[in-house]
Amino acid sequence: MPEFAPDPMTLAILLPLFGAIAAFLAPRAAPLIGLGAVGAMAAAIAAVGHAVAQAGTVTVPLGGWGAPLGIELRADGLALAMLGLTALIALAVGLGALSAFAGEAPADGQPMPRQRAFFWPLCLLLLTGMNGVYLSADLFNLYVMLEVISLAAVGLAVLGGTVAALRAGLAYMYASLLGALMVLLGVGFVYLQTGRLDFAGLAGAQGSPALSAAFALMLVGLALKAALFPLHFWLPEAHANATAPASALLSALVVKAGLYILLRLAEAGPFPGEAILTLLGVLGTGAVLWGGVQALRAERLKLLVAWSTVAQIGLIFVALARAGTEGLSDSWRAAALLILAHAVAKAGMFLAAGRIKDVIGHDRISELDRSAVRPALAQLAFALAAISLIGLPPSLGFIGKWSLMEGAMGAGNWHWIAVTMAGTLLSVAYFSRALTGFLRFDRVRAPLDEHRGWALADAPPVVLAGLAVGLGLAAGPILAVLDLGRPFGVTP
Amino acid sequence: MTVLLAFDLLLAASIVGLAAATLLMRDAFAMIVAFIVFGMLMALGWARLVAPDVALAEVAIGAGLSGALLLRTLAHLRGGSLSAQGGASVSAPANGATQGVNALLAGLATCALGLAYLGAPQNVPGLEAHVADAMPESGVTHPVTAVLLNFRAYDTLMEVVVLLAAVIVVWQVERGLAETPAPALGTVYQGFARVALPVAVIAGGYLLWIGAEAPGGAFQAGAVLGAVAVLGLLSRHVRPAPAHRPLARGAFVVGTAVFALVALGVAGAGRVAFEYPPAQAKTLILLIEAMVTISIAATLAALFHGRAPVAVSREETDR
Repeated sequence: MPEFAPDPMTLAILLPLFGAIAAFLAPRAAPLIGLGAVGAMAAAIAAVGHAVAQAGTVTVPLGGWGAPLGIELRADGLALAMLGLTALIALAVGLGALSAFAGEAPADGQPMPRQRAFFWPLCLLLLTGMNGVYLSADLFNLYVMLEVISLAAVGLAVLGGTVAALRAGLAYMYASLLGALMVLLGVGFVYLQTGRLDFAGLAGAQGSPALSAAFALMLVGLALKAALFPLHFWLPEAHANATAPASALLSALVVKAGLYILLRLAEAGPFPGEAILTLLGVLGTGAVLWGGVQALRAERLKLLVAWSTVAQIGLIFVALARAGTEGLSDSWRAAALLILAHAVAKAGMFLAAGRIKDVIGHDRISELDRSAVRPALAQLAFALAAISLIGLPPSLGFIGKWSLMEGAMGAGNWHWIAVTMAGTLLSVAYFSRALTGFLRFDRVRAPLDEHRGWALADAPPVVLAGLAVGLGLAAGPILAVLDLGRPFGVTP
Repeated sequence: MTVLLAFDLLLAASIVGLAAATLLMRDAFAMIVAFIVFGMLMALGWARLVAPDVALAEVAIGAGLSGALLLRTLAHLRGGSLSAQGGASVSAPANGATQGVNALLAGLATCALGLAYLGAPQNVPGLEAHVADAMPESGVTHPVTAVLLNFRAYDTLMEVVVLLAAVIVVWQVERGLAETPAPALGTVYQGFARVALPVAVIAGGYLLWIGAEAPGGAFQAGAVLGAVAVLGLLSRHVRPAPAHRPLARGAFVVGTAVFALVALGVAGAGRVAFEYPPAQAKTLILLIEAMVTISIAATLAALFHGRAPVAVSREETDR
């Protein structure tokens, strides 16, 4: 039993909820309330971290009933790392949102005060759902949390109010609801067969074709949520047409919910078999190649970044699939590292791309080099984030890819190494398109207007991108945190 | 027995037939009407499966309010009328390839469902025994309410949060369209509303109260009260105006806020969140249910209205 009352895990979920309610009731004070709520949530997460560092795995039986009758919250190293990541990104994106929504109304979108007022309730509801997913140890509860995330994410995706954003948001909502429905069907059939909904009950279940079918339904739903190729069709438009802070949250956090649940299911259940893992790897390969090619063809900077998300998600599935010498109990670490690396770098990159678009006035890649105005700090942030996403040392992305390839080599799976290499080359190619636009000046017809002073809006992308590179040096402590409580039951 | 069996077979066939008919229709209005009837039959089906709580929810929300929302949307798309002259009929499927892929995926999903159902071991004990054991400490005597508001109260809180998120999303979408009032209804309807509304309010309150010991509860009561508000909107007894926004916001959040505050408030002194003291459990559950009912009713009515209240010019109001 925790000595805190109320315990920090419940607070990590409910504090953003209270923040969302307060921000919805008092729209004028929403930014202040929002940042305060994120700060309080970070404090609760720090307390969770303290408990996890002490005990390894901590659980709270909500309502005092305990599984299987009630719902338990559970935190271990993996959950803690995701919670910390979410707090970091929420804080940075929140600061970025302060200035992104501070201006006047754009020509074709919603008035800024409206966006400012509604960003915070939706963002905080999203955080409620994300934290709920990380701490959940119950299948049905995971489904409910996915629904919370879906609706908040759709709201964020259409916050810009443009026709393109609304159209993409509608497609996103249909895909999201369909995915959630598949998960729900799967959950129902698991309950029919095992009589329990908690993860502990799943662990003792006998594998059978019927159970595999139920898991397959959940798997398809989660793949749709995580935008695994070829179920990625909703992602590029939805992420590219959202406002920058919303894109950052959608790309860095929301798609990770599906991946995280997949990891948890793999940890808990008699699933997945080697064949399923290989299938996931093949689909991931498709994502790496198709996402890379589409990113090469994208005409707008934000669309390029969105397609790169498709490719990077594919790489995470490849990491899961490569099944190192000890199978999933080994390769989950590479996947977790890649999830963390992608989240930090992509949040920074979307914020930087939004900033570039704000300053230059457009984000057409072919005309980036014509601009006399150069948002130098945002471009630096974009480049740093690209370094981590490409996987150059010493970035966190490098650590993730290294861990993937090391395991694949150990298991003799050279084909996955080839896929990783191909993905890396593609990412160098498509990011270079943007970077050359930043560096070339020969097509500028006006006097260069490079430095317009620093703005607060530059800080969040630079800090996030800097962390994406610098955290690679802290790979040891990060791995130590991931291994707290021994997810997948293996000693490092 | 044979009569009941015949009834069940007829019911099952009608449900499947209506589902197919709904999908095959080309006129959106007919489609929606078929969908509403489908919801009614589904509710009957749930009743036959001895799940009266689900049946009540299905008929109130699945058939009633969903139907109202769909009809409202259709009226909006067709410029205020429900006839098909304004266009917005259901467009034909895009092309053969898309259809083929969809059919393949749906077929695979159906196979998985069939396999998962047919291959499931028979009579696996669920959590019924655990629920029965814990009932005396739950504060209520109806097992469904005990599960929803006590054993798995956390899930229910988050479902209420989903509704809150839905109404926030609807409010933040500014479509730049003029306010189109719901179609005005004739004098017969006005008379009907005068009789039906008070009765429906009483029915909603009764469903809320009875939920502690029999089928009913916050979701069903909220749906009935939401329907009352929809009738009020249709009869123009309720005219949303910008001045109502703070009140509406309060009504949307009160269920979530009180639920979460109670959940945290009971923690401490060896209790964790959501662990109601048994002596006060019934009071707390009724308090939560009452507040959630208000939120659900307000949210459903707001979803029917479809946007944050804006100022309406006088001619439009009188039209």
